[in-house]
Parts: sequence; structure tokens; C-alpha cells
Amino acid sequence: MSEYVIDIDSLTKIYKTGKTDFKALNNVNLKIRKGDFVAIMGPSGSGKSTLMNIIGCLDRPTSGTIIVDGENISTVSDNQLAEIRGKKIGFIFQKFNLMPTMSALKNIALPMVFLGGTKADRDRRAADLLAKVGLTNWATHRPSELSGGQQQRIAIARALSNNPSIILADEPTGNLDTKTGEQIMELLVALNQEGKTILLVTHANALKRFSNRVINMLDGEVSEDT
Amino acid sequence: MIRDILVMGLDTMKSYKIRTFLTLIGVIIGVASVIMVTTAGNSVSSFIAEQWNLFNPTGMVIGTGTGGATPQLSIRSVVFTTNDVENIQHLPSIKIVAPLGIVPLNKILKRDGFLKWESRPGEAMYASTPALLEILNLELSEGKMFEEGKNEVVISKNVAEVFGKDKPLKIGDTIYLRRVDGKTLEAKVVGILKESSTLSMFNTLSTPGIICPTKPYYSSYFGSNVGTLLKRVVAYTVLLAEATDTKHVEDAQNQILKYLDGTGSDASQYKDQNSDFVVITQQYILVRIDQVMSVIRTYITAIALISLLIGAIGIANIMFATVTERTREIGTMMAIGAKRRDILQLFLYQSMIIGFIGGLTGCILGASGSWFVVDLLNKNIQNLGGAFSAGSIKLTYAPEWFLIASIVGILIGIVAGVLPARKAAKMDPVVALRYE
Repeated sequence: MSEYVIDIDSLTKIYKTGKTDFKALNNVNLKIRKGDFVAIMGPSGSGKSTLMNIIGCLDRPTSGTIIVDGENISTVSDNQLAEIRGKKIGFIFQKFNLMPTMSALKNIALPMVFLGGTKADRDRRAADLLAKVGLTNWATHRPSELSGGQQQRIAIARALSNNPSIILADEPTGNLDTKTGEQIMELLVALNQEGKTILLVTHANALKRFSNRVINMLDGEVSEDT
Repeated sequence: MIRDILVMGLDTMKSYKIRTFLTLIGVIIGVASVIMVTTAGNSVSSFIAEQWNLFNPTGMVIGTGTGGATPQLSIRSVVFTTNDVENIQHLPSIKIVAPLGIVPLNKILKRDGFLKWESRPGEAMYASTPALLEILNLELSEGKMFEEGKNEVVISKNVAEVFGKDKPLKIGDTIYLRRVDGKTLEAKVVGILKESSTLSMFNTLSTPGIICPTKPYYSSYFGSNVGTLLKRVVAYTVLLAEATDTKHVEDAQNQILKYLDGTGSDASQYKDQNSDFVVITQQYILVRIDQVMSVIRTYITAIALISLLIGAIGIANIMFATVTERTREIGTMMAIGAKRRDILQLFLYQSMIIGFIGGLTGCILGASGSWFVVDLLNKNIQNLGGAFSAGSIKLTYAPEWFLIASIVGILIGIVAGVLPARKAAKMDPVVALRYE
């Protein structure tokens, strides 16, 4: 198995908007090692969201290849793509994206539902993860009864539920105050130390310091990689 | 997996209680109204069929009117003579025939010493022969049948109580019948009819009141009034007959028509040029009733089905709104591993559950509602009185409609849910996640 958890080779993504084509990603080459904490930065329209969507198996490239944790996702079906997403990627969103009608525990268990398995196993694992993010007492609460920081912790626990190798965090502190944001980032650093590969997409320069590698995007190309 | 998604769907529905409830109501009303309408229709038609079936299936009415495929009887001209009655009696497929003459009465009077009672006007009397009882399946509860030519009458229970329940007429009482022409005739009550719960052809003409022999009541009355006849002969508007058995009803009908249309009958002489002889059989009446009932039922069921359709549109509408509203949740579910099939099932199950619960509740509600509908019909029928006052409609469920309504409920859920669920499942996760 390759040392790279993400291996991108001459990746191009073109969006057709009416008669004109928009090149969101232009011949991107990128390799990310297992256990890296990578910050992907860049202004709006630089292609960082597109790159993240493709790495997150939500979208397919127009050309080029991308191998995520050993799976070449350029060639798989919608169903396989969904399964790869469920197994290998943990998403963390700026707006938390929890299911408003479900309790904290059920939210955490949701990705496991889509992969099957018994309810007892799922509930046990969800309870463990709830303890890991320090919210055991909030198991039956709905997202609307939780603070922003608590919601993001639930979201992180959910991202971990299928034990993915990659965590994709899209502006995870964007909707939080500085102090809460720091706590969330510390949680991500702790996960990184446990061996998870973390991809952080952000505008905030202040978050750079948590990563060990910074990739700057500009006009659909990697402009800087440090 | 399927169970988990089903539970997720139920959880969502619980979270949107009012919305779910309102959508359910649409389906419940639709299904319940189908059940109620079909049950009411079924109850009324089996009531009518039962009432008519009890009357002799070999019976028929002979008269004049419009012939053809849908014969119509008109009770205007008096054409059948006693001679015709006798000749029809001798036709091979005829078991028995009886004339029917209407004698409108002004009032019924009774004297008891110095006391005198008068009834309200409007009673009708039928002049016939003793054969009438057999054709109409009527029985006497006491007394005997009148004899031809004697001043004797047979009365119904209603007429027996015409002067009040506390002063009932008894066998052997003498009453005075004042005809509309002013003539008063004495009559001795010789028989009282058993109360019949059946609706017979006779009842439909009017409430059975008094049956009297043609002589002396009908013949004298008639002979002094009819000007259309050249000779002063006794003639009747309608004859009632019975075929030898159910297999020969059609033969009997043809034989009667052949006789009447031929030159040998008196009726052909007296008949108006523009009208035909008409023989309406009991079987024909049943078929006609059935036709009318099925037309009524079809229309009402169509209306009920429209309300089911509205229920379906309600489901589709609410599911589309839900799918749009939950776009970002759908995107999130896809991001965390939901397949398109999972999303499709999630929304389809919700509309199926609504259809199923709505169908089931609608069935229960419709079944109990039918009871009230039939009860209401019975009350109204009693208010109407007259021909239908005898007997009451029994609640008769149409079991196949329970099954149809439940299945239709679920089907509606599926059909109404398919488009919204497909819309949800076809979403691009990238776009759905960006949805505000």
C-alpha cells in the first residue's frame, strides 16, 4: 500500500455553465501522506471547495486520476462512491449539518446506519464517541438544544463513527467564537495525533499553525505548497 | 437497514406532527368517504333487492303505456275487461291473474249507536278478486277473504286503526265507504291483512288500505263514470298476473302480449291508438332497480374517489415541500454515506406510512360512519312514510371496498411519494450541501 492516502494526478474539473466552460481545477497534482494535517487555503473561487468535493468523493473529476485510500474514485459508480464516502471520509461542516429531528446519539450513529450493522453495535460505538467528545450527558438532546461548540463536537463524533482514514473539515470554526474554535481545533489536532489524516479547508490564516502542511490554491491551481 | 430507514422516517413524521396530521386527514377523509358511500349504496340496494325478492318473482303487471326496451306503465286508460281477465287466465304459462281497479274514497265512516266516526280523506280502495292475495303474497292475520258480489272487504292493520289505536275495527264490524262520486256503500270487515314488512308491487302503487270485490264496489262505480267506452262494461286499468314458474315468465309475457294485441281481446278495441300494451315483470323491475342503483353508486363513488385523489395531491404537495426544505439534510446524508436508494426509501416510506395509516384509519372511520349514514337513511325513510315505511335498511358492508380502500391508501402514498422522493434521491450532493 502506498504511503499516500490521497494521490492526485493531473486532475482537471470543468464546469459547464451555459455555453462557456469554467475550469475550476486545472491540472492539479497533489499527494498527501497518511497522518498529515493539511490546511488548504485560498480565496473564494480558487478551486479549494472543488478540490475538497472531489477528495470527499462528492464529485468526480473531468479528467485525471484521484486515488483515495487505495480506491480510484474516477471510475466508480454513484453507489460505490457513496460507500467509499461513508467508509473512508469523515465530513465536518462549517454549519455543523446535524439532523435537526434526531438526538445527538442518533446523529452520531447515522453514518453507521447507511453501512449496515446491528443497532446495538451502533449505539455502543455512538456512546463511546459521545464520551470521546465529552458530551455523554447530552445524548438525548437535539441539535437545537446544544450550543454551537457542542454541535460541532457532535459533528466530529459523527465524522469518526465509521472510523475513516481522512477527516475533511470545511471551515469548522467559521460559525464559532474564537475560544470555542480553538477547542475544536485542539480536538482535530488530537485526532491527527491518533493517526487520522486531516484536511482543513479555511480562509483563516490563524488556523495555519495547527497544520504541518499548507497548500495555497489560486485560479484552480496549487500556487504554494509548504 | 430497511427497518432503520423506516424508523428514521417515522421519527421525522413525529417531529412534524401537525404537518403529518393534516396530510393524514386528507387521506382519512378520502378513504372514509369511499367506504361510507359504498356501504350506504350497498345497504340500500340490498334492502331494495331483498324487499322485491320477497314478492313473487313470477309476478307481472299488465297495463298500457309505452312499449319497447324500457317499457313505461301509465295508469290512465281503462281497457281490460272481465272477459280479458278470463282469457288471460287460460293462457298456458299463466298460473293466476287478478284485475286491479282503483276506487278513490272520500272517507270511511262508522256508526256505533249514536256515535259516528269519520276518517280523514284520502284512503284508496282496490277492487279485485281473491286471487290478488296470492299474487301479492299477502296473508290474512285473521278472518277470511271476501266473496265476490258480497258487501265484504279486507282491510290492512293501518286501516283497522283508522279511528284510533284504542278503537280498532274488528272482524264483523260494519263500515261505510264514501266514494269520491258521493255514493256511500256499506261494507262488512271480513278479514284483516297480516302486516307485511315487504315492499310489494302493490305497496308501491299506494299504501295497501282496503281490498274489496269488484262487485258491487268497482263495477257500479265504474259503469257510471266512463265515457270513453262505447258500451257500459266493467274494465280495469291494470291486471296483475303470475307465471306458472320462473322459467316461464318470458313465455307468459309473450303470450299475454300476443293475446292482447290480437283481435280477440276486448282491450285492443278500447286501447288508445298511441299507446301499447305493456307487461312489466318482477324480473324486469329488479334489473331496472339494479341499473338505477349502479348508476347512482358509480357517480357517488366517483365523487368519493375524487376526495381520495385530493388526499393524494395533499401527500405529494407536502412531500415536495419537505424534500425542498430538507435539501441540505439530504446533501449531508449523502456526504456521510447515504446511497441514492436510501434517500429514495426514506421519503417513500414516509408517504407510504401516511397512506397506510390514513387508509386504515379511514376504513375504521368509514365503517363506523356508515352506521350513522344508514341510521340517518332509515330515519328519513320513516319520515317519508308510504311505500318505504315498512322495514328498515340493514347495514350491509361491501367488504371488497375495505380492501380496495386500504390498498388504494398505500398506493396513493407510493404514487404521491414517488416524484418527491425521486427528486430527493437525484440531488447532486455538492449542490444540496450548499443549499441555504
